Amino acid sequence: MKQIFSALFTVVTALSLLSPAQAEPLDPLEVRPTLVRPQVSLPTNLITVPVVNPGEYFVPPSYEDIPDDKTGDMIRWGRNIFVNTQEYAPRYAGNGLNCVSCHLSEGRQPYAAPLWASYPIYPVARNKAKRVVTFQQRIQSCFKYSMDGIAPTVDAPEMDALVTYAKWLSTGAPVGVALPGRGFASIKKTKDPSPINGEIIYNTRCALCHGANGEGQKNRNGVGYMFPPLWGMDSFNRGAGLNKVKTAAQFIKANMPLGSGYTLNDDEALDVAAYMWIHFRPDDPRTSFFMNRFSPKPGGGH
Amino acid sequence: MVKETLFGTRVRRLAILVVSVIAAVVLGYRYTHQPRYLVEKTDPAAVAEGRKIALNGLDGVTACAHCHGQNGEGNQELGYPRLAGLHPKYIAKQLRDFARDPMDIGVKVDPISRDYEKTPRVYKDLTIYSPGIRRDPMMNPIAKALSAKDIYNVSNYYASLPFSAKPEPVDFETLERGHELAVRGKPEYLMPRCNACHGPNGEGFGEHFPPLAGQPPKYIISQINKWQNGDRDNDQFAMMKNTANLLTDGNKVNVARYYSNKSHSVNEE
Ligand code: HEC
Ligand code: HEC
Repeated sequence: MKQIFSALFTVVTALSLLSPAQAEPLDPLEVRPTLVRPQVSLPTNLITVPVVNPGEYFVPPSYEDIPDDKTGDMIRWGRNIFVNTQEYAPRYAGNGLNCVSCHLSEGRQPYAAPLWASYPIYPVARNKAKRVVTFQQRIQSCFKYSMDGIAPTVDAPEMDALVTYAKWLSTGAPVGVALPGRGFASIKKTKDPSPINGEIIYNTRCALCHGANGEGQKNRNGVGYMFPPLWGMDSFNRGAGLNKVKTAAQFIKANMPLGSGYTLNDDEALDVAAYMWIHFRPDDPRTSFFMNRFSPKPGGGH
Repeated sequence: MVKETLFGTRVRRLAILVVSVIAAVVLGYRYTHQPRYLVEKTDPAAVAEGRKIALNGLDGVTACAHCHGQNGEGNQELGYPRLAGLHPKYIAKQLRDFARDPMDIGVKVDPISRDYEKTPRVYKDLTIYSPGIRRDPMMNPIAKALSAKDIYNVSNYYASLPFSAKPEPVDFETLERGHELAVRGKPEYLMPRCNACHGPNGEGFGEHFPPLAGQPPKYIISQINKWQNGDRDNDQFAMMKNTANLLTDGNKVNVARYYSNKSHSVNEE
């Protein structure tokens, strides 16, 4: 009898070790104290994040290796537009963001839609446009929606520069293969996202940088944003990819709070994304003024 | 015949109305959308009080100027940090953390092995952040001896001081590698760039993000080491802890010396 019990015990403990530690869905009232103030107790909720081993993600060429010729100048210009869109392509940018605001580390960060993973797979079929789009068209739609601006034409010099930069970043990447780190992290929801919970998480984990009202924080000299706005007139518009709760949650899970990616679990990421989503942002340029006022907001579904 | 009223003709009344509505909208917009420049205001009374503590010390507290320099410029050789021109709330928070009892939080923090293959997993804490602990044999007793008022005074004093960094010569290769970390980070290890939080040129940003430019390289390296081994654990959301854990010894030297090469000044015309 005793042996059976001990065997059972071993099996149960082994099983509990095998299954990953999972956060219980907490009730908002319980969440508040643990999120607001640091707790002095043993950690109860550990999540495991695979450490990145060398060679796990594609490493794009380094900035110092840009050739010193005409192409090199184009690459550097493309990089400048990408990093400081406000200064280098002001006529196409309609809000306060830069491409790096979402494509972190100059378009190099895995799971922040890195350019090195996207350039080689284009042209691809996209749902939004319901047709095959080229890389240039993809950039145009980021300008139109994420940057809330005007898309440069396919033959605009800025477009050339951006494409050259992306092409250079993907030097040596296999063509037509979905590389690890492409797009955003995957996410699985176990409950419907709750903006109320999201507000708590926003105030405790995001407001420090993105401002109490999601308005971002300007640089010291008042030019451009140090921490970009998450909603409001200076943010991306209602047609943008990040206005979809799921996409935003995927972005947030891997990258936010900056430097502590993966500290929010899937449901928490969805909650903050929902909280971001309920706020006002510029109109979708595809539909009319009235449709933007009175039709349901896009991006809430799954 | 146009009817005269208090405000003139009907046309003029309409004009006044339109102009005042436009003015109200413009002023209202300007009022609600004021640029939030980060001017750190200091309290002159506190500055004067703080100056006394900083230069002469208190009973049982040596003068701050002893290690941090007469003008709060720090000490390059010994790696004492510069304090001049830091955000008053940042200095005050650090002093409070120095004064806090390093409570036994039940978690022993081992230094993370620098050999990446030998660290299969990183455990990131979901819910528990430390209340803010900085262990330092020199600063702990000093901070404990300061009252809340003293902390307010000295932090205002140091925040009000002018500071100009003296860029140090650094060899080209170190600069290049440091620059890489500062503006691009290590994306292949998911580490963000330093400048994303510490300001476009490492000049610091707001009350949470201290300047790196103008800090002695020795100090920066020692702090990153302390984050790695848990002696310093007072950052927001463990952001610096996670970031420090991704830095190799070579990275630390490169980035610290890169910032020592930056020119930077605060509170100066
Ligand atoms: C508000 C955030 C945001 C901004 C700003 C932004 N993007 Fe994007 N970008 C996205 C999202 C979201 C996607 C969709 C990724 C996906 O579908 O996996 C995306 C996708 C892309 C892709 C295709 C990536 C892929 O893997 O298919 C390219 C190329 C791109 N953006 C370029 C740019 C450029 C160039 C700029 C600057 C003009 C820019 N983006 C600005 C959010 C943004
Ligand atoms: C340490 C400061 C910091 C914290 C905390 C932080 N962010 Fe960010 N966030 C940034 C920075 C900086 C960027 C822009 C990326 C860049 O410039 O490298 C950004 C970009 C973003 C973007 C894309 C750009 C935009 O404006 O839409 C979103 C969305 C976002 N953050 C959401 C969040 C959410 C949600 C949280 C809370 C869980 C959060 N952030 C916490 C610093 C922070």
